Order: sequence, then structure tokens, then C-alpha cells
Amino acid sequence: MIGTARTLRELSVSPRRVRVWDLPTRIFHWLLVLAVGVALWTGFIAPEWWLGLHRGAGYAIVLLLAFRFVWAFYGSEYSRLTYFIRASRHFGDYLRGLLLLRPPHYVGHNPVGALMVFALFAMLIALVASGLLVEGGEEKRGPLAGLVAYQTGFVAKGLHRILVYLLLSMILVHIAGVLVESRLQRASLVRGMITGWMRVPEGMPMPSPRPAHPLRAAVALGLFTSVAAGVLLVLSRIAPPGIPDLAPNATVAAECGACHWPYHPSLLPRTSWAALLAGLEDHFGEDASLPADTLAEIATYYERYAAEAWDSEAARRFATVSPNEPLRITDTPYWVAKHAGLDPAVFDAPAVRSKSNCIACHRDADSGRFDDQAIALPKGASP
Amino acid sequence: MRRLSFAAAAIAALLVSAAALADPARDAILAAFADQAKSADAAFAGFSTDRGRAFWTATHSGGKPDTPSCTTCHGADPKAAGQTRAGQSIAPMAVSVTPDRFTDPEKVAKWFLRNCNSVLGRECTAAEKGDVITYLSSQ
Repeated sequence: MIGTARTLRELSVSPRRVRVWDLPTRIFHWLLVLAVGVALWTGFIAPEWWLGLHRGAGYAIVLLLAFRFVWAFYGSEYSRLTYFIRASRHFGDYLRGLLLLRPPHYVGHNPVGALMVFALFAMLIALVASGLLVEGGEEKRGPLAGLVAYQTGFVAKGLHRILVYLLLSMILVHIAGVLVESRLQRASLVRGMITGWMRVPEGMPMPSPRPAHPLRAAVALGLFTSVAAGVLLVLSRIAPPGIPDLAPNATVAAECGACHWPYHPSLLPRTSWAALLAGLEDHFGEDASLPADTLAEIATYYERYAAEAWDSEAARRFATVSPNEPLRITDTPYWVAKHAGLDPAVFDAPAVRSKSNCIACHRDADSGRFDDQAIALPKGASP
Repeated sequence: MRRLSFAAAAIAALLVSAAALADPARDAILAAFADQAKSADAAFAGFSTDRGRAFWTATHSGGKPDTPSCTTCHGADPKAAGQTRAGQSIAPMAVSVTPDRFTDPEKVAKWFLRNCNSVLGRECTAAEKGDVITYLSSQ
């Protein structure tokens, strides 16, 4: 945090330098780099069960953006919204200068840089918003779980994927802009964002920057986060629609569970369950016939809680069965696509033994959630 | 004194395991299979541990290709747990390890019906069922 007195003293020692970026702005910038980096890494490269970290990075970005929004009003001169707006008004002049390779000098952001910051923040807000829609609709988690249908989450995922490529290209333009401007100014803008100091070019009048108001910023941020936390709390109390309160059934657990993990009823549509239970005499290569009353109880349960009764990701995806093997969950197009990258030896591991043993890796399979972060491959198995 | 209590414990343990092995419910199931075997074949002269072992470990034909033998899922050692083709554990079949084996007539009927069909492609005879229960009770 820099005070007015200290700024003036440092200015008097080195009159051609100015503290462009105060400490909170610099910390914000590099934490944002870190959070976006983690989000990109967990989104593109890390295995699916790192989704929890991806979500954490998203929430970190929200907090950082909230801080930056507050700091745009209470930060020191060059961090302020008014400065950014003023800078972006010179866009035409700057661009003309850039084309002649004699761009005018600016302390703080040049007009293109200022616009880029607005664009980057808008993009991050869009990414975070679409991410929350995916989290709520597909995963039935997070503050929007009670409001967003699976289909909305699915569409948001497509959008999230497109936006991230736009963000990546904007990051590249941002870095390229920093390098070009550093070259033209003959001063490293990167170092400026580390030390906070930038050189004031000869002939330019020394600016008299407005100081930061850390206390007011802290109060505003506190207010903001309290209100946001309250809203999140209220939203999180709304039960997700399309997630029935599934009562565990002892008959299903005993009879189906004697030979295989008792499948969650949301994993096949009604027609498939009915056909499967009508043919237990040849049940995937074994006789699994049941007394009529037991069979009737199990059939009622699977009819009632079949995929049609759910709005979860697993139910919506497994509702599309294989045309040739409509009874086999592990032949559904979604199952095949999701497990295509796995080493087939995983299914032969003693702890797994069969593709049908969902719960060997999906620790939350009994709930039908199949969260990405609940996946744990058995020891010795590699993805 | 200590030796005496050891002896008492040993006797108690023997009594308990003898009681587990000679369960009245299991005896009743065996008696019913014996009656059926006798009415099917007048020459029937009791169940045999050896025939039961041979039947249990044999590779049969006529059933479903994935399950040619009882031991496919139950494993070669009746005192050890087996595993279904879908990965679920099956409690050991040996009565000395799982004392409540063959004491529930409905369960016995259900699993012989299913598993004989899977392994042999037919129902088992009363003599075969009795032999298997006799063999696994001796384990």
C-alpha cells in the first residue's frame, strides 16, 4: 500500500520515475495470472478428477475481479476506472501513432492496453458465468444448481469452450502488446508490473497521481463479499430440480448386488430396464432369474427412478442407448466416449474386474452423481 | 487352572463348530434332497463328499460359455472368497468359514436353479445338489 508522503519522497529522489502500479494492483495482476493459469491447466491438461481445482480457480478469479472492481474506485491513480476510461478515449490518436511507429507515450495503460483490460475482464466474467451455469446445470453443484436445467448447463459448456479459445487469443495479444510497447518505450512493462515503477519520458510533465484509499476499499470489498455470500447462501438452499429423493431399496441391494454393483436406476431409460428385467434367465451370459414377487418389486423401483425421472448429467447422457445393445450401459455412446482414453487393463485390475463395476472408480456411483472429482482409479492403474 | 480353562475353551469351540456344521435347517434341506434322490433312483444310497468335490471342480459343458464350472466364480478353494464376473465378492462356500451356508431353503433353491442353468444348461438333480452341500459342509 503506498501513501502520498512516500510517493512524493520517492519522486523527489528519482524525478523521472513514477509509481504506476500500486502493490495491491501488482499482487492482483500476478494472482490473476496464476488463477487463470491453473484454470487453463485443469481445463485442458489435467485429468477430469481435478475439476475441483478448476472450480477453485474459477472462484478465485471471481474474488480477484471483485477486488479489482473495488480497486478501480479506491486504488491509486493508474488503477482507477476513470484513468482507464480517459486512456481509452485516446484510442484513435494512439493507433495513428502506432501505425507511424511513433506512438505517443502514456504513463499507465496506453489506450489499446486499457481497452484490452476491459475486454479481458468482460471475457473472464463471461467465462466464470458460463462455468457457473455448467456447474449448476450439469454437475448439480454450486450456487446455480437449484436454478439451472441440465440442458442449459450443456449449452453453457459449449459456450465456455468457445470463450476459452477467445481468452487464449486475447492473452496472446495482451502479451504481444506488452512486448511491442516495451520495445517502443525502451522500458520493460513486465518489470513495471513487478516493481511498480515506470519511467516518465523526457518532455512529459510529471503527473500528480491520486493516492489509494485502502480503508475505503476494504470496507467496500467487505460489503460486496458479505452481500455476495448471502446471495450464494440463499441460492445454495434451493434443492436442484430433477434430482429425486431416491430411497435405498434393500431388495435391489441384496438381489442385484449379489452379482454386480447394483446399478443406479438413472443409468438407463425405462424401456431398457423393462426389457432387461424381463430377460433375467439370460442376463448378460448368466441365469439371474428371480421369484416373481422379488422381480416385481425391483421392476417397480427401476421403472419409477429410471433416467427419465432425473435431470442429472449421467441420466441425460445414458438415456441415449446403443442401438444394438440397448440394455448395456457400457455400450452407450456416452460411456464409450468417456472411457475411450483409458488403458483397457484398468478394467482387468483385481479391484475392478469388470466394466460394469462403476463404483470401483466412481466413488459416488451409489448416488448416481458421477462427479468428475469423485473419480479415483485403483492403485497401479494409470489413465 | 489356566490349562483347565484352555481345555474348556477348546471343548466349547468344538461344540460350537460341530453345532454350526450340523445345523437342523441344513439337515432338513439335505433330507428333502435325499427323499427326492431316492424317488428318482431306488438305488440311491446317500450323498458323497467325493462325488460332490468332483462335481464342484469339474468343467461342465452345456451351460453358458463364460461359466463352465462352479469354481469359475466361487474359486478353487471353498474356504476362500470367490468373485463374480462383475467383480462382487462371494463369501466362502465352506460351511466351516460361512456357517449359515445352506440353511435357507429359498436361497438354496434360487441359487441352484440359476447357477446350474448357467454352468450346465439344465437343472441339477437332487443327488447332485445333496452331494455338493455334503462336500461343502465337510470343508
